[in-house]
Amino acid sequence: MTPVIHIVDDDASFRTAVGRLIEASGFRVASYVSGEDILERLPSAEPGCILLDLRMPGLSGADLQDHLVQKAPLLPIIYLTGHGDIGATVRAIKAGAEDFLEKPASAEDLLEAIRRALLQNGKRRSEHDRAHALRGLVANLTPREFQVFDLVVRGKRNKQVAFELGTSERTVKAHRHAITEKLGVNSLAEMVTIAERLGLIESRQSASSSP
Amino acid sequence: MLTVVSPTGTWSAEIIGRLPRVLILYPYDERIPATNIAGETARARLLEATQGKIDLFSEFLDLSRFPDDVHIDRMARYLSEKYVEHQPDVVVALGEESTRFISQNRHRIAPEAKIVFAGFSAETAAGLNLPDDVVGAFTEFDIGKTFEMAIRLQPNARRLVVIGGSSKFDEAWIANARVNLPAVTGGVETTYLTGLSIDEFVEHAARLTPDSILIVLTVFVDRSGRNFIPQASLEMIAEAAAAPTYGPYSTYLGRGVVGGNTVTFESMGSSVADLAIDAIAGKTISDVEVPHTYVADSRQLERWGLPESALPAGTVQSFEESSIWADHWQAITGGIGVLAMQGLVIAGLLIERRKRQTAETQSQLHLLEAVHLNQSATAGALSASIAHELNQPLGAIRSNADAAEILLRSDTPDLKLIRQIVADIRDDDQRAGDIIMRLRAMLRKRSEIDWQEFDLNEAIGGALRILHAEAARRRVEVTSNYAATQLPVRADRVHIQQVILNLATNAMDAMLDVVSPERKLVFQTALTREAKVELSVSDTGCGIPGERLATVFEPFYTTKPTGTGLGLAIARTIIETYGGRIWADNRPEGGAVFRFNLPLAQGLQ
Repeated sequence: MTPVIHIVDDDASFRTAVGRLIEASGFRVASYVSGEDILERLPSAEPGCILLDLRMPGLSGADLQDHLVQKAPLLPIIYLTGHGDIGATVRAIKAGAEDFLEKPASAEDLLEAIRRALLQNGKRRSEHDRAHALRGLVANLTPREFQVFDLVVRGKRNKQVAFELGTSERTVKAHRHAITEKLGVNSLAEMVTIAERLGLIESRQSASSSP
Repeated sequence: MLTVVSPTGTWSAEIIGRLPRVLILYPYDERIPATNIAGETARARLLEATQGKIDLFSEFLDLSRFPDDVHIDRMARYLSEKYVEHQPDVVVALGEESTRFISQNRHRIAPEAKIVFAGFSAETAAGLNLPDDVVGAFTEFDIGKTFEMAIRLQPNARRLVVIGGSSKFDEAWIANARVNLPAVTGGVETTYLTGLSIDEFVEHAARLTPDSILIVLTVFVDRSGRNFIPQASLEMIAEAAAAPTYGPYSTYLGRGVVGGNTVTFESMGSSVADLAIDAIAGKTISDVEVPHTYVADSRQLERWGLPESALPAGTVQSFEESSIWADHWQAITGGIGVLAMQGLVIAGLLIERRKRQTAETQSQLHLLEAVHLNQSATAGALSASIAHELNQPLGAIRSNADAAEILLRSDTPDLKLIRQIVADIRDDDQRAGDIIMRLRAMLRKRSEIDWQEFDLNEAIGGALRILHAEAARRRVEVTSNYAATQLPVRADRVHIQQVILNLATNAMDAMLDVVSPERKLVFQTALTREAKVELSVSDTGCGIPGERLATVFEPFYTTKPTGTGLGLAIARTIIETYGGRIWADNRPEGGAVFRFNLPLAQGLQ
């Protein structure tokens, strides 16, 4: 599928010109006049990236970035910035901007940045797909199996798990066997990796730290 | 209803309702004395004839340093935009270059205006192919008349020597003299000295017998290729000359010539001003010749023992004071005892007056300097926004060009799209040019106040265009409520915009600590019952502490770590210069409001 480059800039002639360049280079283009505009018509799941002017009236670059990271985490953001916006640049990089281009950018620089962003998008997509698949696998576990899985990946031994769940060590062993079958893993290390990738370990820990 | 009556008649019906506008075009920069004298005389004449009820505009085209077509086109574009709302009724073109410029670009700058010119001969005009309705005051030098002055002063002269240099201009002068002198020289033997070096000219001049007449035309360039200002080469020759020296330029006076017949730059200016006055009055005008003047230097007459009584009637003499002193010094010293006391008092008063004038001029200069400094500071504060604003069209141009390049690589390029791209590139270039033009207008340093009548609402609009990007960057919501009518004021527009920019940037600075949806900047204009034009600039910032309301306009009052504390002081000076008042208040709902008023321009209600 041809990737879509989402251009957000309040300047019509700039938007049109960059859009033409990108289309001529073989991509599809979607244009937005403001941060509010792109949030309203949030990009679908197609491959692509976002080209964003840092200085627009309305929603600020940083605010928009926060919203986009939440709502479209797979789409890398390339910032276009005026000369000498050091403060804004640093803020945006900390917030996870993929790339920076100074206006006016050359076609090579722009297309190169887009290619890098699309590679990144590809990585995020496959990671996302993998996570999605893993989530599906984990969803297949019975509630009891999930409880066992959750304790095991936190480093609990079979005996401790059995004690916490009020059952026998043999039952726990049987659950663990079913879990490795369902998740298609061979070792405890692989189970821990899955739990980490799905954010289970972290989310549980942070949840337990609050009352 | 405005009616202006001048000594030459009533203004034409078309411009009743507003002051007539005259644009004076200077061909070079503002340091060239010849065109400045002509222009100043024309201005003075126009002001006098209209009793000051005229709007005068001046533009220095700088065509000797920038003669290229690109500059000419840029200049024409700039002037066409600048005067789009202030179409001149008459354009006065000084010199050949200005005349060519305006007759070629009149459709862009002033399609309806009458064009009058001065500063060159009918022969030169013929070479310019001017349209029929462009008329002028021609300068026709008559070298024969310079000789006639010389022969009246030296009736026994046996020999005439004419000197001219090696440049094209110099040679044209020699050719002119060869054609026109024989008719008047009679039996006087004439020698033309040309194609010599400056040293050779000086040497020849020094060997002349006192019964000779020496006429120096111009030496811009000598045989060795050395360049001169004609006054300088004339001075070297006249100083060494063993015979009285004459020449056709008033600028030669005081440099060693006895005199000559000339067209002064003053008479050039007043002749062309007269044409302009007639044109405004709706009279039919046609080409005229600038009147000739005989000029003479009293000290040179004395040096050569030539009788003042032999001067042609109407000769303008300079340096008379010193010769009166020299001739009558005994009588004068005798009388001085009686007059001494009186004289001292008068002298004292004169010195006092002179001092005051100097002080006034100086304070105006200081104002202009301060305004310029402040302009630079404002531009500095806004520079990031301006750079961003400029990068938009530049970025668009670049991307469009890159896109076109890629499209052209295709075997079947989309020509329709490429044509659209080219059109867009042109538009964006115009946009970038406009931004630079606005910046330059804002930064231009003034040597004098450029009085104009303009609509305050419109001036605010101009300032808002400059502020727009900065306000967007700072997330300040700008609104403006204009009075329904035009608000004509008389002032230097750039200065008033400077005040507006100052108040606006102050207001934005004051709102730094306010959350962004609450940052509101409101411009409001009104016509008050006292016939004053008023602007208020309100913000939603932190306001001004009560005890400081009175002192914010004092110099060096500042709350900003990087402020100069001069912005508001300069704003007050500017507003008071134009007869207005500026003051500050706190708004009951929070934030500050700055207001200034200016007198409504007279006669246009």
